[in-house]
Amino acid sequence: MKNKNTNNLVFSTILGNGSDKNSNGKDYNVQSSTFRLIFSFINLYALILILLFFMVKGNLVEGIDNNFLHTGFLSVLNARGILLLLLMISLNISAYFNYGFNYVCLILLAYMINSAIDNAVLFSGFMHITDRPYLSVFTLTRPLFVIALFWVMIIHKDKDVSD
Amino acid sequence: MFENPQLSNFFWLSMSIAYAFCFSSLYTYLTIPEYTFELNNNAQINITMKLATVRLVIVAVALLVYPMILFRFFKYAKYFTVALTAWAVAIYIDDIFVLTEVIKYPESGLITSIQSLRPILIVSLLLMSIELVFRPLTAD
Repeated sequence: MKNKNTNNLVFSTILGNGSDKNSNGKDYNVQSSTFRLIFSFINLYALILILLFFMVKGNLVEGIDNNFLHTGFLSVLNARGILLLLLMISLNISAYFNYGFNYVCLILLAYMINSAIDNAVLFSGFMHITDRPYLSVFTLTRPLFVIALFWVMIIHKDKDVSD
Repeated sequence: MFENPQLSNFFWLSMSIAYAFCFSSLYTYLTIPEYTFELNNNAQINITMKLATVRLVIVAVALLVYPMILFRFFKYAKYFTVALTAWAVAIYIDDIFVLTEVIKYPESGLITSIQSLRPILIVSLLLMSIELVFRPLTAD
């Protein structure tokens, strides 16, 4: 009986340490809860944004005038939606395999900042916040997404050899 | 004060090509003759030149900052190079696939040649990124 208790204690200690985030024996790192929370936010934000892009493209959202879309914004939304979807898939794959996450994050960051600059320069004359509330919400909250990406890149624990 | 990044000659060659391309772009866009705009005075060209100006400012800043990061803060050079590569690829994809209906570059021989040579810049930056990311750790 005594021996059994000792064994239980040993096993629980081993399992306890094994699930610890600083475990070196495992080939993956357990990410912090902050990381998981921000990463979920990034995925949710991108998913809603992509859905909105495709809904606008499919003419399923009211309140967006056709003149605005015919200035070329529709094709831009379409391509941006597809590119963002591909980048988000890459980000999730790199997070799952825990390889090159920081670099994919950096690429997504560069892409998002570039698209924000493009939109500000090319479509600032057409964009009025009250005209397109759905798109404006995402335009205005873009810095929040960029900050979240930057944050998740910093707090990510990578097992990448090159780091 | 300054670190000595022990990089291959291939890296320096790629960096020279990238710098040469960026300086050529700056020279080309800064010396566009005014009659080009007068001949093709439409909204698309004006908006394209506005976008090109913003991009050239970013390029000029990157050209100034990059040597500083490479020699002073070498630890962050790979992240900066990857970000620049991603941006170069993003603006290339934007111009070719995303903004095709929106932007139009002025009809000038120099601008056309600079636009067609952009893949060279991307390849140079990619080679620089690969060298910095996958270089042996012992050299740090």
